Amino acid sequence: MPHQMLVPRKVSLFVPCFVDQLLPEVAVDTVKVLRRVGYAVEFPADQTCCGQPAFNTGYWNEARPCAEHFVRVFKHAEAVVCPSGSCVTMVRKFYPELLAASPLREDAIAVASRTFELSEFLVKVAAVTQVGAAFPHSVTYHASCHGLRELHLRDEPLQLLRQVDGLKLIEMVRSDECCGFGGTFAAKFPDISAAMGDSKAESVAASGAEFVTATDPSCLLHLQGILSKRHAPTRTIYLASILAQQSLAQEKP
Amino acid sequence: MSQTAAQRFLQDAALKSADLVHREIIQRGMDSYDSAHLKGRARIKDWEAARQKCQEIKREAINHLDRYLLQFEEQVISRGGHVFWAANAEEACTYVKNLATRLGVRTVVKSKSMVTEEIHLSPALEKAGIKVWETDLGEFIVQLRDEPPYHIVTPAMHLNRGQIAKLFREKLDPGIESDDPVDLMAAARRILRQAFFAAEMGISGANFLVADAGVVAISTNEGNGRLCTSVPRFHVVVTGIEKVIPQLEDLAVLWPVLATSGTGQGITTYSTLIGGPRQPGEVDGPDEFHVVLVDNGRSQLLADAEQREVLHCIRCGACLNICPVFRHVGGHTYGTTYPGPIGSVLTPHLAGIKEFKHLSYASSLCGACSSVCPVKIDLHHHLLQNRRNATEAGATKSSERLIFRTWRYAMLHPRIYALGGWSMRKALRMIYSLGLAGSILDPMRVWNRHRSPVPLPSESFRARWRKSRGAN
Amino acid sequence: MVQTREAQTEKAQTEHSSRDRILQRIRAGLRTVVPEPAAAGSDRVIVGPIIDEPVIFEPVVNPLERFQQECVGNLMECVLTADSAASARQLSKVLQSLPEGETFVQDDPSLRRLIDLAAPGRAIHWSNQGAPGEASQATVTLAEALIAQTGSILVTASCGGRGASVIAPCHIVYATLAQLVPDLATALRHVSQQRTLDRNSFACVISGSSRTADIEKILVQGAHGPRRLVVILQTGT
Repeated sequence: MPHQMLVPRKVSLFVPCFVDQLLPEVAVDTVKVLRRVGYAVEFPADQTCCGQPAFNTGYWNEARPCAEHFVRVFKHAEAVVCPSGSCVTMVRKFYPELLAASPLREDAIAVASRTFELSEFLVKVAAVTQVGAAFPHSVTYHASCHGLRELHLRDEPLQLLRQVDGLKLIEMVRSDECCGFGGTFAAKFPDISAAMGDSKAESVAASGAEFVTATDPSCLLHLQGILSKRHAPTRTIYLASILAQQSLAQEKP
Repeated sequence: MSQTAAQRFLQDAALKSADLVHREIIQRGMDSYDSAHLKGRARIKDWEAARQKCQEIKREAINHLDRYLLQFEEQVISRGGHVFWAANAEEACTYVKNLATRLGVRTVVKSKSMVTEEIHLSPALEKAGIKVWETDLGEFIVQLRDEPPYHIVTPAMHLNRGQIAKLFREKLDPGIESDDPVDLMAAARRILRQAFFAAEMGISGANFLVADAGVVAISTNEGNGRLCTSVPRFHVVVTGIEKVIPQLEDLAVLWPVLATSGTGQGITTYSTLIGGPRQPGEVDGPDEFHVVLVDNGRSQLLADAEQREVLHCIRCGACLNICPVFRHVGGHTYGTTYPGPIGSVLTPHLAGIKEFKHLSYASSLCGACSSVCPVKIDLHHHLLQNRRNATEAGATKSSERLIFRTWRYAMLHPRIYALGGWSMRKALRMIYSLGLAGSILDPMRVWNRHRSPVPLPSESFRARWRKSRGAN
Repeated sequence: MVQTREAQTEKAQTEHSSRDRILQRIRAGLRTVVPEPAAAGSDRVIVGPIIDEPVIFEPVVNPLERFQQECVGNLMECVLTADSAASARQLSKVLQSLPEGETFVQDDPSLRRLIDLAAPGRAIHWSNQGAPGEASQATVTLAEALIAQTGSILVTASCGGRGASVIAPCHIVYATLAQLVPDLATALRHVSQQRTLDRNSFACVISGSSRTADIEKILVQGAHGPRRLVVILQTGT
């Protein structure tokens, strides 16, 4: 992670495909937060997908052109910010390997070094933890796997949450145990995926929190499906959606 | 029509993951391990340095495997021991069986060895009329139940005391009334003690083969490994060739790390070193000492630049313990000698990618396994590589290949992608409004089996952005 | 079953060719170049010089204290004695607490003296008469070393044989403070340097009484090995 890079004033937004199609508010709130801390946000309309679904299923030859497309789209971005730890992992961790023999290899490495998950961008690059948010509810945090183990995000999301006005952070047991989504895993092994989600839902319920949040909206999509099926009261909310909330006093007229 | 391993896995996984009693038992067992493990970790000042050191030791050993194996062999032979190199399971079993037969062995006592499970040694001996007693308590229990071990370190963790007491009553002694673990252990001790003193041959595994000292290192807590290698007249070690370590002093870090990762202990109670049969002047010990070095696919892994490090595994079981998939389906579901993450990575190499690739897909790639592996094997990335290998070997379904080719086309053409997404949402909204969620017409029916339907916004983010020209 | 000469030669050839084949495959496999794994957290910036050999275990500052602490955790008994008379008394005390039965003792001058002093009034089976019997109630041996880090005793075949530390329900070790080393690394280094394993077919680092947690992960003491391990640690002469 280049600590010494110049703090950019403009970021390019990379929106995961499932966020684009199913959870647009995740991207909307991400933009809100980035603007509030002083960044202009551009959205390159030609973007599609980082390639993870094909890559994770073993179809690296199909993932490769998709990755090359991503690199072309974001080649000139000062910084790429994405509301998803798993997509950022794909770009930062796997693009260099996937595109090792590609003519775009150098560009890929360069783009990868400038691609960030939202919370790590805010805390490490923009160097802010106080984003002027207010959310007077109890919240428990699920440590999404890619963010935790591949991007080494241990503290950044919590640092942000602790600065939110009125937010009561409750720790859940086994917060770092996988929720069970895993992308194609949920389609190929639906029973195991659901059982893992069930166990996670138990941990969430045991925390007593009103909301559960994470750095990966895919985890939350899967969890919400399970929580709703169980008629559990806890609601999922993506990290940026919490940070985007302002107290009435702070809202501009 | 017989099932494939993949079909069987899917079926067993579905049953087991819904079994809440099983889930509760495993959860309790793993909670117990978690707290013990944390205590064990606290005894090591720099855990990451310990992992680094263990990785280096195993890397050195595996990268010079032939040299170290020969060094080990030379010393064992100089002390009057025998070393047999078995290319595969069949050769290993034949050697042990022929040896036992030639020596007039009628009873064997065995301490825990996953390699003997891998090569199916016990059935081979029993077919030759030799009685085999598993002496590790957990192995003893699953042997009585005629099932494979559930876990490579704690073979009977899926059973509660009531089930074990009932088993002992039925198979050993109807007079066993108590289900207290203390009494059950005492009953097992009584019976197995007779076996230790009657058996002509003891068979053990090896945790490590120490090259410079030419000794086999065997770790047990119960003392069964000690008795197997002290009392009977003949001792046979069955081990994979990859168990080698270069120096005796490597054990100063490997022993504590193995114990910490395996059970949370500082060191296993009996950390034994054996270099040969009883020497002249010694009070006791076996007359003959044989080491069977088993290849069975391991040497092939050496040539795999990405996955050679899989041979570094010290079989501690930590990856099984932390794996959420293992915790929900249990050890038997895998249907392989080695379950859990290491099993999923290793089995395609030992037993064929076509038949066992499904295990590499049965993972959410959460990475917990890699984070706890004491020798830093990048387990979850190897699962990913296995998936790629399966695809490149043409071992995946043609329907799936078509799906991803279509997917690729869409992802390279943003307007097609956007149209595809819009059509999907529209179709799903229609299907759900007709009350057909979960039916055969519902492409999300697998999702909807266990979850409430995904939200279906009328506008994608990009459509909103375009409309508001980025203002919102 | 006697093998014919042909069968034996064939057998030797098979064995030999398997060995050769395996070694050949190993050498062929090792010709593949495997890149060194990326350093841990390679996306992190390393500041400053890399120090050599990080300290993995906290150094043992007070070996005797540490040894005693570890013994407690290991469910083994450690009794400090000032001299041989006190050691003999302790030995006597332990033996008297045990049921009647054979007491196996390693045949060594210091143990001969100790038994004389203790005068336990039990039949002693000395190691020069053979291994402990199945019904032994206790064994008494020396050790090669004591290890503070893990609360362990190091025994070898020279300490009364293999069975001496595992057959009877009670194993008593007579040791001196001079035998205490701080850690496993030191103990193993001594074993290497003194070529202990050239002179002994067996050695064992024993860190407690035998136990199992195979039933419901509940710790049960006294599995197949001794239920009691007692170290009589003599500090003086």
